[in-house]
Amino acid sequence: MAGLSLKSLHKTYGKVEVIKGVDLEIEDGEFVVFVGPSGCGKSTLLRMIAGLEDITGGELYIGDKLCNDVEPRDRSIAMVFQSYALYPHMTVYDNVGFGLKLAKTPKDVRDQKIREAARILKMEHLLDRKPGQLSGGQRQRVAIGRAIVRQPEVFLFDEPLSNLDAALRVDTRMEIAKLHADLGATMIYVTHDQVEAMTLADKIVVLDAGVVQQVGSPIELYQRPQNLFVAGFIGSPKMNFVEVAVEAVDGDTVTVASKDVASLRIPANSTSLNIGDKLTLGIRPHDLLPASNGAIVGRVSLVERLGNETIVNLELSSGAAWLAVLEGDQPLRIGESLILSAEPQKAILFDRNGLALLRAA
Amino acid sequence: MTENASSVPDARHQIPLPAARRGRRKSLTAWLFITPAFLFYAAFVLVPLIMSLYYSFLRWDGIGEARFHGLTNYITVLTDSDLLQIIGNAFQLVLYFTIIPVGLGLAVASAIRGQMNGRFGMATRTILFLPQVIPLVAAGIAWSWMFASTGLVNQALKSVGLSSWVKGWLGDFVWALPAVGVIGAWVLLGLCTMLLVTGITKIDTSLYEAARLDGARPWHEFRYITLPGLRQEIGVCITVTVIAALASFDIVYISTQGGPGITTTVPGLEIYRLAFAHRQVGLASALAIVLMVLVLLSIAPVQWFTRDKK
Repeated sequence: MAGLSLKSLHKTYGKVEVIKGVDLEIEDGEFVVFVGPSGCGKSTLLRMIAGLEDITGGELYIGDKLCNDVEPRDRSIAMVFQSYALYPHMTVYDNVGFGLKLAKTPKDVRDQKIREAARILKMEHLLDRKPGQLSGGQRQRVAIGRAIVRQPEVFLFDEPLSNLDAALRVDTRMEIAKLHADLGATMIYVTHDQVEAMTLADKIVVLDAGVVQQVGSPIELYQRPQNLFVAGFIGSPKMNFVEVAVEAVDGDTVTVASKDVASLRIPANSTSLNIGDKLTLGIRPHDLLPASNGAIVGRVSLVERLGNETIVNLELSSGAAWLAVLEGDQPLRIGESLILSAEPQKAILFDRNGLALLRAA
Repeated sequence: MTENASSVPDARHQIPLPAARRGRRKSLTAWLFITPAFLFYAAFVLVPLIMSLYYSFLRWDGIGEARFHGLTNYITVLTDSDLLQIIGNAFQLVLYFTIIPVGLGLAVASAIRGQMNGRFGMATRTILFLPQVIPLVAAGIAWSWMFASTGLVNQALKSVGLSSWVKGWLGDFVWALPAVGVIGAWVLLGLCTMLLVTGITKIDTSLYEAARLDGARPWHEFRYITLPGLRQEIGVCITVTVIAALASFDIVYISTQGGPGITTTVPGLEIYRLAFAHRQVGLASALAIVLMVLVLLSIAPVQWFTRDKK
């Protein structure tokens, strides 16, 4: 197994720069998820690691080896594609063993490895079938089997669950997590689904417009986002934002208020703040609670009852749309007024540049 | 009263038709849809085919009285050395008309696979398809000039120091048939390349990427992805080119008129000669029927091998 080191990686298509200097260290055996909106460059970055896209600038090390100009077949990597990329005219057995066949692995060793991969992925009964005879989930298992049979140093997954239905996605996600635990291999996984990112990753890399916005553990990204983009992208439903003004600065706390929010004292890095400064207040929908003395007042515009929780869409007096996720089945009606409180420790302030004013952890 | 009167037809409509009557009505509708197309097909395919089969059992000059001739015409086709050579010529042309366009088409399609979008792809496709839109007569005349003693081919050979190779290609007993084959290959190359290039763009590019990660080299990509992925297009190309070779007429007629001797005569040309020059309509029809059977026998295995096995 091997770690990876990305040093100032750049990728341009003509005059368009899609990866703008990515620096990243991935430890041996780590499960790293690249996450970001469509077009942020996460798949391009993965394909650069795979060798399917040329590296315009910077250095890529797999283990200790500089791999910028190394052919994909010589990088000791395996990749699972979104479209599965199974060879349609070959049986599952031949698909899984194709790489070994090209590597001229002896037939008996090849057979043993294919059957072992099939056993791990519980697909022994599928070996004689062709991809066209398989369901989406089965195809994905074959694609994973084709990756593991070669025993690569790094596994790459390019949105592997996107084509599966919701239930199968959860199952396959658990299988991938188990596979990582069993193999202990370095895995890099690309997704735009932040639930997949949160559940699978040891480390999440949030990308936007070809720039790494933040790298950290899932909880770190959720609790201490470094900027507005990460705060809005990580967490479901997404974080609520509203513009506020600084009313008072007191050591490690800042008091803010606005038309929508009565005075709130929030722990924050206040060194560069002055009274009257405009900031953005961010509060997660799960951190809002109904309270008669709360600081936030909104009018209920929609109620979504999920049984275990109620998602309430609120319209604040400024017109801002907020969400609150309340426990249980709340007897709320559209049009009624709802007063909410927020735990100050969990609220985050962002400056005019969108950077979080976090206190040192 | 009014309510009762209006309710009667409604009730009648709700009575289901007996199953047999429903079936007959469905069948009649189906036949009504099929009939116009069937009439056209019968008029332009079935009737001429049946008439040819009928004529093949006759001794007839096309004008006078026809006499029943039994299987004599077929025996002549299958035993006459000239006619057998003519049929053999057609099969030799298959080698040129099929192998060169399909082989080169595959090579071109593989080479430009990654550049099919944009101006380059469009220009390549247009240039490669150009021979297909040029009338065969024009192509035949142009190539006759190029293969002439003072033509472009011989000038090119001289310019590279191969003067000893210079000859009147289309008049040479050995080289006339290969020269005709080259003309046919040039004409069909565009069609095959177009079909194969279109087919190759339908192959999922992630298959090539997966293969590269699996350790495939360009030859492996061609062998394990391109060839199986183009199975049906290759089948169409082979079928079209085999038919073009076995049933060829115009290219041969324009470039060599079957000569020298009968070295480039093909069944299509011979059928024309027998029917309209020698007035042996029965023998010409028998040769046409034999040719049709040979075409079907040649194509059947191609169709079987290239069927979709997914």
